[in-house]
Amino acid sequence: MRLGMVIDLKRCIGCYGCQIACKAEHGTPPGVFYARVLKREEGQYPNVKQFSLPVLCNHCEEPPCVDVCPTGASFKWSDGIVDIDHDKCVGCRACMMACPYNNRYFNDGNQNYFGDAGSTPFERARAARHPTGVVMKCNFCRDRVRAGKMPACVANCPTVARHFGDLDDPNSEVSRLIKERGGFNLHPEAGTKPSVYYLPA
Amino acid sequence: MIPLNRRYEQLIQDLRSELRPQREWAENRGLFLVIGHFLVGVAGGTWLCSLLFELRGGLAVAFCLGVLGGLSHLAFLGRPERFWKMALHVRTSWISRGFWGLSLFLIGGVLYLVPQFLPGAPWRSGSVPAAIGYVVSLIGMVGIIGYMGFVYSSSRAIPFWNSPTHPLLYIAYALRGGMAVLLIILMFEGRSPDATLTAIKVWLVVTTVVVVLYLFEIYGAVSGHNPAARQSVRDLLFGRVAVYFYGGTLLIGILIPAMLVSGFVFPLSMGTLAIIGFASVIGDFFMKYTTIKAGVYMPLYPRVTRQVGH
Repeated sequence: MRLGMVIDLKRCIGCYGCQIACKAEHGTPPGVFYARVLKREEGQYPNVKQFSLPVLCNHCEEPPCVDVCPTGASFKWSDGIVDIDHDKCVGCRACMMACPYNNRYFNDGNQNYFGDAGSTPFERARAARHPTGVVMKCNFCRDRVRAGKMPACVANCPTVARHFGDLDDPNSEVSRLIKERGGFNLHPEAGTKPSVYYLPA
Repeated sequence: MIPLNRRYEQLIQDLRSELRPQREWAENRGLFLVIGHFLVGVAGGTWLCSLLFELRGGLAVAFCLGVLGGLSHLAFLGRPERFWKMALHVRTSWISRGFWGLSLFLIGGVLYLVPQFLPGAPWRSGSVPAAIGYVVSLIGMVGIIGYMGFVYSSSRAIPFWNSPTHPLLYIAYALRGGMAVLLIILMFEGRSPDATLTAIKVWLVVTTVVVVLYLFEIYGAVSGHNPAARQSVRDLLFGRVAVYFYGGTLLIGILIPAMLVSGFVFPLSMGTLAIIGFASVIGDFFMKYTTIKAGVYMPLYPRVTRQVGH
């Protein structure tokens, strides 16, 4: 089994719904984004194009972050999800330098979103879940997946641009979409075999 | 240290840029990593050179540099209390291998040096524990000289570091650092002119190798097709790191020592050699600092623009 995600760029409207849903689900501190949306504009008026590219951890089949980790804190589950054991992480950040997709973040210290106003009850609750001095990343909402739910970014995408399933199953929706629509990876030349695919717009 | 909220603003700005500079390994506590790598590299080089030139004082200096380098590494870690866990993944992780290298170097160093400096030590020079210490410290020395370049070259997200010349450059820089410290020690030990002349010749050869490898590194990054590597070179030569590169790496590290070695400005003396050593060591630090700070992450966009466009 290899869990993976397919993001349909034709359907994505760049609404940041996935990013907000992820923030709400995990309560990640400021500066930590398990899911992000990259935007880029090209051209000049009246011929301007906007590109949106939602990104997250690619849960690579051959993850370089796992290889460089000196403690074994970065590891891969049998279902293909790449995760971090925060009790083992020493905060050396080698994994951040190894990830070709820039999707790992260092939780430097307790921060809140409202500066001098102090932290909210929600922030205090989430701070207890996120140890400082360690690296954090997306884990495909592992707890939700184990409970039979979809990852938060998939469940909350208003245009149904995200699909989640088993890449090893040729009959799964994700495998079918990749095959029919010509799914592609980011940085295939890095040889990491990502489990996140994009469908061309 | 930059306050957390300012670092957050900086991160948001970085995430918006196409070519995002890496800051984790060079800024704030990341500076301790640069210092640690610099000290450990010089420690390994100094140990080797001191053995070759039979300088007991040099071995002690190398050991102290190794200890300071280790402490600096600990100061960098987010969770230093778990440092021992870095020994666990030696099969694939260069950091883990470096951890073992430094540990062996320090353990072997204690076994080898204690009887040489403490007359009442429980074991003597030439005894079995001292001989074991000699061998173990040599293995550790090879480890600490060699591992650092591989730590950077295995960082696939930073194309500037991800080059085959990087490990060679770090090995050469460790040797140059070792020779530079040796020149300083020679001044205090008052060695024969022959030994000093040999030391300066070796320093010149190693420096030439370093310059050639550095040029290869720059050429490789510029001539390649990776925009992040090219941006790193732009940052190094014309951008945010240029002041440190020209002032530290080039002027202090290469030009001043080269000028002093030529003998045109001052006649070569033990004092001049020590200045060459100091300048060379400072230059080595800036070389590491600038190379690390110039690291830029691979961009995600360029290769997919055609497919992403809508």
